[in-house]
Amino acid sequence: MIYDLIIIGSGAAGLAAALYAGRYKMTTLVIAGEFGGETATAGTIENYPAIASIDGYDFMKTMKDQALSLGVKLADGRVDSIQKEGSAFKLSTKEETFEGKTVILAFGSRRRHLNLPNEKELTGKGVHYCWTCDGPLYGGKTVAMVGGGDSSVKGVNFLGEYAQKIYLIAKGKEILAEPINLDQMKKLGDKVEVLTETEVTTIVGDKMLEKLVLSKSYQGSSDLKVDGLFIEIGFDPDTSLPKQLGLKLDEKNYIIVDNKMRTNVSRVFAAGDATNHFGSFKQDITAAAMGAVAATSAYEYKNQSKT
Amino acid sequence: MPNITIYTTPSCVYCKSAKEFFKEHNVSYKELDVVGDMRAREDMIKKSGQLGVPVIDVDGSIVIGFDKRKLSELLKVS
Repeated sequence: MIYDLIIIGSGAAGLAAALYAGRYKMTTLVIAGEFGGETATAGTIENYPAIASIDGYDFMKTMKDQALSLGVKLADGRVDSIQKEGSAFKLSTKEETFEGKTVILAFGSRRRHLNLPNEKELTGKGVHYCWTCDGPLYGGKTVAMVGGGDSSVKGVNFLGEYAQKIYLIAKGKEILAEPINLDQMKKLGDKVEVLTETEVTTIVGDKMLEKLVLSKSYQGSSDLKVDGLFIEIGFDPDTSLPKQLGLKLDEKNYIIVDNKMRTNVSRVFAAGDATNHFGSFKQDITAAAMGAVAATSAYEYKNQSKT
Repeated sequence: MPNITIYTTPSCVYCKSAKEFFKEHNVSYKELDVVGDMRAREDMIKKSGQLGVPVIDVDGSIVIGFDKRKLSELLKVS
């Protein structure tokens, strides 16, 4: 079958788009490799209106169930190729090919790594990316969080429930996070040491992580002994599918969209963290709003094409 | 029915996704929370050689993370 709309990504943008498309009675398929996008791993969400506090995974599961109840279909897999063929787009995963009249790209962005030797080898052996998953295993231990943004501060606050000492290591001069999260971190007191203008230059360990070497010495030494290292240094957009479609990207490789979430290619819309909309302000509420607008634009196209 | 043990932490999203997957396919499993259960944690490290969750033991085959494709193969479900 040829779907009215295929959405790539099941984060806040993708599933909000699916909700609206379902209500517009469009035949809609969501294709996603990993459920829930970044929201699912973000820990507790406390800045979404009308919801005082909710776990990120539960939030996304509710969004998924809401979309599925409207007849939206879900397919597992990572879309490797996308081609325009006549009036439809052909999207292929390793297992299957799907066709849609319109497409919304809501695949978010890729987690940045430090790209240091040993980082890959020691992943799961002291080096981690998911603090909500593996943070509780460091009860009474010393850990480091690398990153200077809001997510890293949320991570420190989460780890504060378990670890006995946390080093927050940031490249920049200051930590850029929501004041409410910074206040919470301050409440952890001496448990947290913030090392600004500092980078991890070496990850040392054989079978397990043993220590980090820092670019700037701390208490007279550039060696920092830690049991665990959590990396939360942001995301980069994935350019593979946008390039296949010939989409215009900004200087940071985010998809350029207009106020209706239209790209420069007809019938291709984009929403969420993959776009340049709202600049670096990437939130669940902005992603969901973009998803709703993108679905509405796809619906407008469907109605126009009837006339 | 295969014998399945999943090693988890309560806040681990991939653990939740894996358990959801088992439920969808009517597969029963035993869950061990490795935050408080040190013996389970040692077992998990011994089996997987690492400390990240989830670790899933399907009849002795060890899956690290929620690898849906690998689990589908092991459980012979689509």
